[in-house]
Amino acid sequence: MNPISRFATSALTIAEMEARKIRHDSTELWMRGVQPALWLLIFGEVFNSVRSLAPPGGYTYIQYIAPGVLAQSVLFVAIFYGITIVWERDVGLLTKLLSTPSPRLSVVVGKALAAGVRGIFQGVMIFALALIIGVNLRFDPLDVLGVFVVVVLFAMCFSAFSMTLASFLKTRDRMMGIGQAITIPLFFASNAIYPVSLMPAWLQYISKFNPLSYVVDALRSMLLTGDYSSLPTDIAALVAATAFFIGCGSIVLKRLIE
Amino acid sequence: MKAIEVDSLTKVYSNGTKAVDDISFSVEEGEIFGMLGPNGAGKTTTIKMITTLAKPTTGSIQVFGVDAVRNSEEVRKMFGLVPQAISVDGDLTGYENLLIFAKLFYVDRAERRARILDALEYFGLGDRADDLVKNYSGGMMRRLEIAQALVNRPKILFLDEPSIGLDPHSKNQVVQQVQELNREFGTTILVTTHDMHEADTLCNRLAIMNRGTIAVSGPPAELKRSVGGDVLTLKVTGEVVTDLPPGLGTIVESEPGVIKVLTDDGERAIPRITSHFQRKGAVVESISLSRPTLDDVFMKYTKSSIQKEEGTFSQTRSERRNIARHAR
Repeated sequence: MNPISRFATSALTIAEMEARKIRHDSTELWMRGVQPALWLLIFGEVFNSVRSLAPPGGYTYIQYIAPGVLAQSVLFVAIFYGITIVWERDVGLLTKLLSTPSPRLSVVVGKALAAGVRGIFQGVMIFALALIIGVNLRFDPLDVLGVFVVVVLFAMCFSAFSMTLASFLKTRDRMMGIGQAITIPLFFASNAIYPVSLMPAWLQYISKFNPLSYVVDALRSMLLTGDYSSLPTDIAALVAATAFFIGCGSIVLKRLIE
Repeated sequence: MKAIEVDSLTKVYSNGTKAVDDISFSVEEGEIFGMLGPNGAGKTTTIKMITTLAKPTTGSIQVFGVDAVRNSEEVRKMFGLVPQAISVDGDLTGYENLLIFAKLFYVDRAERRARILDALEYFGLGDRADDLVKNYSGGMMRRLEIAQALVNRPKILFLDEPSIGLDPHSKNQVVQQVQELNREFGTTILVTTHDMHEADTLCNRLAIMNRGTIAVSGPPAELKRSVGGDVLTLKVTGEVVTDLPPGLGTIVESEPGVIKVLTDDGERAIPRITSHFQRKGAVVESISLSRPTLDDVFMKYTKSSIQKEEGTFSQTRSERRNIARHAR
């Protein structure tokens, strides 16, 4: 086997491990569907009637936040993925994984892909919810495919970030704490649930550096507007961030087992 | 070629702890080599360095002639590791756990299934292959871990405290299977343990570790001989006897009614000592013989490093007392 196919085999195997676990017990996935449902059904419904929140382009508020809610639910899955790694370190699985001839980078990519697998389920859930409660989204096959690509990349990006953090923080409690501390600011300083134009100037500036904004923008262009003008920038930013964090993760991951 | 050759290996952790302090040893191909020592002796750190999971601070490691530091990926192809902690995933089935690792070791697709089923069968887990591992018992889980470490047909198997947390029955089963594996396939095995009995029955050769250093190494039988032989405990009435004929051994403890004799060969010494005491007018009521264990070896060699610095008579005596006490 050549190095590239070995690398791919390793990464896909680790993602397969996750998929098999989900097949045996998918309770967590269903639970993770609750929060986005509440955002759409309750938050969306209530805020739909706030006039000043009326999104540009004549969309309903629920339509507007659907991509944001999807991004947020994937963010939650990904940002806490480091906890899984710490847990695997604690029981001993990580030691075992790193003692195989599979390169470290492929382990991190595999783990990130595993988070991507979970992200895909979040996407399916949002699409299902949208269909059930009658949120009008674009269901063009290419768009749907694009949404899943962005979701997987996004989950990989933040799970790699989370694994990098885990390599330094090393305990589940600290990871819980930092996860909470990161997600909420990221969420509120993004265009997920309100247009950037409604933010104060300083927050608008911050949201430019918020990766979540790019993700939501990309998702929104495919799910809602069909305006792809900023899509290349969004995806380029996301790919760059993903590559960066995966690189970081594979360099520092061994700190966990030392 | 040696299976493993470790030369002046040292590991200092970033917090300043010297976990391993300048150790050198080698493991022959096909032998079961044991590292025996208390918790914190540096055994796990040593295994981590050989298995390329931790970088040595100084020193060199060769696994079948391949440098473990410079060529870590090549080395990782050659061994199977059963770490001290759990290395199988409870949320997967036994078969899946082996499948994942067979893939991560790039086992040929055509061979994969047969190999996994073989390994499961060999460890008596064939009928539980499709059960989730979280429903396995501790012993089954440990056996699955060994099976998992064997899917890549390793030249060397590392077992870090394989019997920790197992009940005596499962412990025996694991020890037997490891021995069988070594006999049938000639797999070189490096095992760490703090269980003296296990080290004694399982290993061809042993290194006794304490505080990051190897105190002594050699075959268990040789090590036990080196602590000075058997101890006889005699219950005596009548005349007080304080000497023994030359060549029979030495009296290491003499209390009213109870005498302890240190001797090379206890079984042969018994009749001669009995008749000696009878000649002196004492009556021997009972004799018990205890042979040295690795515990005594450990006591001797980990203490001897202190003794080298001091070397006083009282310490020598207390050491011998200790040997006697632990030989009981």
